[in-house]
Amino acid sequence: MIRNIAISSTFHLFIVLITAMSLPFLSKKPIDLPPIISIELIQITDKTSIPFAPKAKKIIEKIKKKEKLVSEQAPPKIVKKEKPDAVPLPDEKIEKVKKLEEKKQNPEKIENEVKQVSEFEKEELFDPNSIAALIDKSKEETAETNKKTNKITQDQDRSIDMTGLSLSEEDALKAQIFGCWSIPLGLPYNESLLVRIKLKLKPDGSVIRSEILDHARMNKPGQGFYKVLAESALRAIKLCQPLRVPTTGYERWKDLQLNFDAREMLGG
Amino acid sequence: MELSKIFKNTFLVILACLLLSACATQKKVETGQMQGDVYTGTDTVKYLASGVADRVFFATNESVLTTASRDTLRKQGAWMRKNSDLTFVIEGHADERGTREYNLALGERRANAAKDYLMTYGVAGNRLSVISYGKERPIDSGSNPLAWSKNRRSVTVKAN
Amino acid sequence: MLFRYLFILIILLPIKAFALIEVDITRGNLSPLPIAVSSLSIDEESKESFNKILKNKDMGLEISIIVENNLKQTGLFNPLNKNAFLQNPDIAHLKPRFEDWALIKAQALVTGKVIFIDEKLRVEFRLWDVLAAREMMALTFTTVPSNWRRVGHIITDKVYERLTGEKGYFDTRIIYVAEEGKKINRIKKLAIMDQDGFNTKYLTLGNELVLTPRFNPTNQMVTYLSYFRNLPRVYLLDIETGVQEVVGDFPGMTFAPRFSPDGKIIIMSFAMDGNSDIYTMDLENRIVERITNHPSIDTSPSYSPNGKYICFNSDRSGYQQIYVMKSNGSNVKRISFGKGIYGTPVWSPRGDLIAFTKMHKGKFYIGVMRTDGSGERLLTQNFYQEAPSWSPNGRVLIFYRETKTDEKGEGFSAKLWSIDLTGYNERLVETETDASDPSWSSLLSN
Repeated sequence: MIRNIAISSTFHLFIVLITAMSLPFLSKKPIDLPPIISIELIQITDKTSIPFAPKAKKIIEKIKKKEKLVSEQAPPKIVKKEKPDAVPLPDEKIEKVKKLEEKKQNPEKIENEVKQVSEFEKEELFDPNSIAALIDKSKEETAETNKKTNKITQDQDRSIDMTGLSLSEEDALKAQIFGCWSIPLGLPYNESLLVRIKLKLKPDGSVIRSEILDHARMNKPGQGFYKVLAESALRAIKLCQPLRVPTTGYERWKDLQLNFDAREMLGG
Repeated sequence: MELSKIFKNTFLVILACLLLSACATQKKVETGQMQGDVYTGTDTVKYLASGVADRVFFATNESVLTTASRDTLRKQGAWMRKNSDLTFVIEGHADERGTREYNLALGERRANAAKDYLMTYGVAGNRLSVISYGKERPIDSGSNPLAWSKNRRSVTVKAN
Repeated sequence: MLFRYLFILIILLPIKAFALIEVDITRGNLSPLPIAVSSLSIDEESKESFNKILKNKDMGLEISIIVENNLKQTGLFNPLNKNAFLQNPDIAHLKPRFEDWALIKAQALVTGKVIFIDEKLRVEFRLWDVLAAREMMALTFTTVPSNWRRVGHIITDKVYERLTGEKGYFDTRIIYVAEEGKKINRIKKLAIMDQDGFNTKYLTLGNELVLTPRFNPTNQMVTYLSYFRNLPRVYLLDIETGVQEVVGDFPGMTFAPRFSPDGKIIIMSFAMDGNSDIYTMDLENRIVERITNHPSIDTSPSYSPNGKYICFNSDRSGYQQIYVMKSNGSNVKRISFGKGIYGTPVWSPRGDLIAFTKMHKGKFYIGVMRTDGSGERLLTQNFYQEAPSWSPNGRVLIFYRETKTDEKGEGFSAKLWSIDLTGYNERLVETETDASDPSWSSLLSN
C-alpha cells in the first residue's frame, strides 16, 4: 500500500514538473495583430503556371521524357518528306494523328496545335511548290516548341518565386463547371461513372448543341444510373451557360468535349 | 527559465490537478463480488432451502461451470433428491452485450450445463425442464460489468 | 501536278478542324438535388368528398406532403419550400412555366391532379426536368380512397427511380417489436407501420414475450418467436385474419425464424440439450429438414435472394462468426475474419452484400461485407445496436439501438434507426413506443 502511494506520487510529481516546464508565460500580454486578408489576382493566360503538387511534378517529368522521345522521332520524317509526290499525302495524315495522340498525353501540346493552325490560317495562297517546304517548317516548329516548353517548365521554378499565379483557360472552365454539377448521390460507385458530352458552342459561350457519346447506354436495362448521371451532366451544362470561354481562338474551342467523371467524388 | 517562474508554474499545475482530479469510486469494493468475469456475490441470489442457492453464474460468452457453480449445484442436487416429488424449470440467461438470437442459444446452453450436472448427481432428467430467456429478463438493469455479471446466470425454479 | 497539290489542299483544310479539346470534369458538388413538389391540383367537389369520407381537408396537399417527406428522408433530395412556389398547382400541372421554377433553383418538378370519381381516388402526376424544360414521366393510378397514403408512396417510388436509377422503397411497411415498461420486465408486442411511421397496428396483445418477427415475401404472413404458455416456439401469423399457429412440433425451443425467398419454407434454429442447429420446414408438406449438424451454436440464418445459399451465425470457431453454405447445408465457409465478434448476418436483396452486427472492444457496429467476406465496411458505431434489415432496394439498413442506463438502472430506451449504405443519413425512425427487432417488407405494389 505505501509502496503504491510512493510510486504514484513519483509519477504525479514527474507529470507536474513536465507540465510546469512547458507552461506558457501567463503574465505576458498577447500581441495584437490585425487580421491579414490575402487577395490573389489570378490572370487567365494561355498556360497554367500554378505551382504543381509533388505528384503532378512526377507526371510532368514523365511527359517531358515522352516529349523528348517524340521530338527525336521527328527529324527522320523530315528526310522522308523531301521526296516529292506520293509520299506527302499519307504522311501528312500520320503526322496529324500523331499530334492528336501527343496532345492527349500532354495538355501543353495544344499550344503547338494552336500555333500550327494559325500558321496555316495566315497562309492565304498555297504555293504548290512550297508545300513541301511548309511541311518541313511545321516539323521544325514542333521540335522548337518542344524545346520551348521544356525551357518554360524549367523556368517555372523561378517564376513561382517572382510573379503571381495564372489559371489556364481550361482550368477556368473546369472551375466553372465544378460549381454547376450536382452529382447524383445515389450512384453505385463500383460501376463506370464516366459520361462524355460533345458540345458545339457560340462565340459567347452558349451551347448550340450537345451530344452524349455512348448514347446507347442510356436506355440499357440495368444501366439506369448512367442515364441519371448523363442527365445530371446535361443539367450542369445548362446551369452554367454561358460557359466561361476564352475571348480568342473561337475556331479552337467551338467544338468542346466534356468528360464528366464522378469516380473521384464517389469513390468508395 | 527563471527558477521563480518554474515554482510559480508548478504551483499552478498542482492546483489545477487537484481541482481536476476526481474522487475515487468504490471500484475497490466490487472486486470482492467478481472473480475474473464471474459474479461471486450474493446480491441477487435467492434460496431454495437453507444454504441452497438457486443460481449459478457464468463468464462472458461462456457456459462452463466454475468450481463455485458446481458446489452450488451439488447442494441443489442433494436437496432435490430429498424432495423427490418436486419438479423444476432451469432458466438460462445472458447479459445484454450480445446479439439477441445468439443470446437465446447461449441461455439454453447455460441452462443445459446446469441440468446436465444435476443429472450426474442423480436427479432424474424428467424432473428438470429447460427454458432460455436470452437477454430478455435481466435481474439487474445496470449498464456496467457488475450488473452484466449478475445477469449471466442459470436459475433453478420450482415448477410445482 | 497542280491537281495533286489541290487535292492535298482539300484534305489539309478540314483536318485542322478535327482538333477537339477535351476537358475532364472530375469534381462537382454532392448536395441533395433541389426538387419542387407542387400540391396536387384538386377540384372543390373532390375536396368535399374526401373530407366527408376520410376527414381529409386537402387531399392534393396531403399527398404532396407524403412525397416531400419521403424524398427528404433519403438525404438525396432537397424538397423546396412551397411558400416560394410561383405557379398555381392547377396551371403548373398542365404546362409549367419552367422559368418560374428555375428561378427558385428547382431542377426537377412534380405536379399532379387528384379527383374523386366513381367512388374511387384517381391520381395523375408528372415529373418535369426544369432545366431541359421537358416532361420526364407521367402516370395515372386509380384506387380506393383509403389507400391515399400508398398513392403518395408509389409516386415517390416512381420519381425516385427516375431520378436515381434505383428502385424505390417507399411503398413498404416495417414490422417490429413494440416495447414498454421496466427493463427487467419489458412488455413486448408485434407492431406493423408504414415505412414513414404512419398507420401503426399492433398484432399481439403483450401477454407473452414476442421477438424477431419477419414478413413473408408477399407481406401477408409473419413468422416470429413467441413465449406463449412459457414455451418459446416459432409461430406463423396471418396479418389479415390474425390467426396464429405454431410452426412444426419440436421438442425444444425454436427461434430466429425467416422465410425463404419463395415463401414456401421457414428456416430457423432449434435448440436441444445445449446445442442449436439450423432446420427448415416446408409449409406445404410440413417436412422438416436438418441443415447444420455441429455441436456449436448455429443461428440467425439468411437466404441469398436466389435461394441457393444461406449465410448464418456460428461459434464453431470459438466465437460468433459469419458463415456461408449452400442451402442444403453443404460447403460451409467462414467469411468473417476481422477483429471482433460478428452476428446477425443478413443477405442484401440485391445479392451483392451481407450486412451484420459486429462487437469489438465494448462497442457495437453495423457493417456490410461482400458475400465472400471481402470489402468489410463499418457504417456506424454505438454503445449498443444490432440486427440490421435491408430496404427492398438494398440501399438502406434499418436496425435498433438501446441506451445505457444510469447508476440507478433507469433511463433505458430502445429505438429504430436507419442508415444509408454509403454511411450517410443516419436517422431516427419514429415509432409510437420504444421499438426493437425491425424487419423491412418488400414493395407492396408489384
